[in-house]
Amino acid sequence: MAPWLKSRWVTVPLAIALTVLAWNAYVAINAGGKVEGRVVDAAGRPVANASVILLERHFVMHNERQRTRTDGSGYFQFTGNDNHSLQLEAEAAGLGRSERRAVRLWFRAQNVSLTEPLQFSAQLP
Amino acid sequence: MVAAGKETDDGTVPVTGWWQRKRTRERIVVACFLLPSLTIFFLYRVLPLAWNVLLSLQHWSPLKPARWAGLDHYEEMLLYDEVFWQALKNTLIFIAVSPLAIALALGIALLVNSNLKGAAIYRSIVFLSYPLMTVAVGIIWRWMYDERGGIINFALRESGLIAKPIPFLQSFDWALPSVIVAEIWQVLGFYMIIILTGLQSIPPHLYEAASIDGAPRWAQFGRITLPLLRPSLFLCAVIGILNSFTSFDLIYIMTNGGPGHATELLITYIYKSGFGQTKFDYAAALTVVQFVLLLALTYLANLVAGGNAGSLEPR
Amino acid sequence: MPRRRTFLRHANLIGICAVMLLPFYWVLKTAVTNENIYAYPPRLLPEAPHLFNFVDVWYFIPFPRYLLNSFIVSALVVAGNIAFNAMAGYALTKNFPAKRAFLLLFFSCMLIPFQATIIPAYLITSQLGLLNSYLGLAFPLLSTIVCIFVFKAAFEAVPQSLIDAARIDGLTEWHIILRVLLPLSKAALATNVVLAFIWSWNAFLWPLIITREPTMQTLPLGLARFLSYLEDTTGALYAFAVMVLAPSIFVFLMAQREFIRGLTSGATKG
Repeated sequence: MAPWLKSRWVTVPLAIALTVLAWNAYVAINAGGKVEGRVVDAAGRPVANASVILLERHFVMHNERQRTRTDGSGYFQFTGNDNHSLQLEAEAAGLGRSERRAVRLWFRAQNVSLTEPLQFSAQLP
Repeated sequence: MVAAGKETDDGTVPVTGWWQRKRTRERIVVACFLLPSLTIFFLYRVLPLAWNVLLSLQHWSPLKPARWAGLDHYEEMLLYDEVFWQALKNTLIFIAVSPLAIALALGIALLVNSNLKGAAIYRSIVFLSYPLMTVAVGIIWRWMYDERGGIINFALRESGLIAKPIPFLQSFDWALPSVIVAEIWQVLGFYMIIILTGLQSIPPHLYEAASIDGAPRWAQFGRITLPLLRPSLFLCAVIGILNSFTSFDLIYIMTNGGPGHATELLITYIYKSGFGQTKFDYAAALTVVQFVLLLALTYLANLVAGGNAGSLEPR
Repeated sequence: MPRRRTFLRHANLIGICAVMLLPFYWVLKTAVTNENIYAYPPRLLPEAPHLFNFVDVWYFIPFPRYLLNSFIVSALVVAGNIAFNAMAGYALTKNFPAKRAFLLLFFSCMLIPFQATIIPAYLITSQLGLLNSYLGLAFPLLSTIVCIFVFKAAFEAVPQSLIDAARIDGLTEWHIILRVLLPLSKAALATNVVLAFIWSWNAFLWPLIITREPTMQTLPLGLARFLSYLEDTTGALYAFAVMVLAPSIFVFLMAQREFIRGLTSGATKG
């Protein structure tokens, strides 16, 4: 192999270029804009038909962007998110509002699935 | 290779033809190769210097035609402009502190200049601050001096030295020293490298001979090291002088000349006059004064270093 | 050397290095911490560190744009420096009348700091119509005297026989530089590249004067502008500073030797 290929002036920029390419590929694949998760009450039981709000960050404030409802098993899904700093909040009749969860992504429109469900502080009757 | 000239009456062969053309061709090449660099230096060093002098003697503004002003600007500057004198004083303070920084760098260089394991790492760490963007350095130090989030106030309060935080960059007394500390932090590595190079070019047999003669270490330092370091120390002094003229970035970010004009340097005042108040002619006069000051100080440093830029060759 | 003295030296040096590195650590800690950075007392370690401030900086300020501008200007400066300095250095290795005059001219130009020229430099650049353009940003830095002397010294070290052989082979002067001298002066070339890159990357005053639109601003300007932008309680500004410093630190770590050599050889009248 030609000795100049092993010089640090070639290997390091090459490594950087490859990393950048790989990252861009990863971003392109995973930028679906999907945000999904589950909503549970204080006891851990799924809450159906709760209203979930997606807020996105605008400088120092968060503005509401989308709303959806959870299905029978407390699962909700947003599509079309194109921001990188979000907040999620749920509200349901009789349970008030849930915690406001901040969701920060690595790149805009990253597909994300909540690891911890949104939790209400009250319980379903 | 026969010259293509014809023999003349007295028997000599005139240097014409092929040989002549080669030398002129070489001169043309030299001229062409020097041209780009010379253009840049002419446009951005020589011409501006001359134009500065010209501008300083005129009343000039972008919209109106120029009027001769003579020494009006200088009169205004020297007699009526308090900001100028404050800026001058601050610049001189900046310069006066550089021997301290050079001494510090000398100490560090002496420590690093040994067969210590990892000397190269220490050297790199100390030098790391120099090639950084001065704007970022200014932001870093601004944060270090912050009253709430800064570590300097925190350390001072925790160690019981002060009870309330000191607003370093907003106080009339502390602003200039604070900026100077930041500047020293950044330039220390550069001084160290220059001194290190000088140290490493001192032949070791001089020390050996002195040891054999029984000279104590401090005498060796004073008689061998210091004199042979003269060129390096002179260079550091010149850098220190230049630094006080080029620390625009640091001042702009940390204090912007404030509070009041406590940290105003000549260069920031020039920038504010020229591009803030668009008094180009007055700023040109300030620049001329600054440049004259620079030349005078460099000449002085040359004298102190023993003439001839502190070089070691006999005159 | 006695062990105690070695230990003392190490201790002193470690202390000094700790002081030199402290600002870096403090800013890094502020950039990744998750708490209100103005809370007193400040914590010495970042709390719940996260890297999302960097994501915010990437999107909320035109960081890619500033990066691109800085990169283009630096590329122009490096290319111009290599070309013009090599040419001038080569020309200075030859003997020609008025050579001493030119050398003197170059030396004295070294004493004229850029700051002594800003007002007319601005006027000249605007006359040339280069305000707010990449070329205008790069123009004053396209050739530096220190680097010319670095090349000159390197070219003078090449044996004349090689140059003569190349000339006999019929190479033009420009080809001689390209094919013979430059490959043998790798160190000088590297020094030139590194010095030119760092000076243009860090330049603040000149871009401040020359740019008229935010889209032409380079990285230092973007950083300065962001200072007054949002004084929020997160470490976003300091994440920006870290992102700005990373390329410089990276280039420095890669090119330490060349950088130091260039500074010392050129500065001590190589």
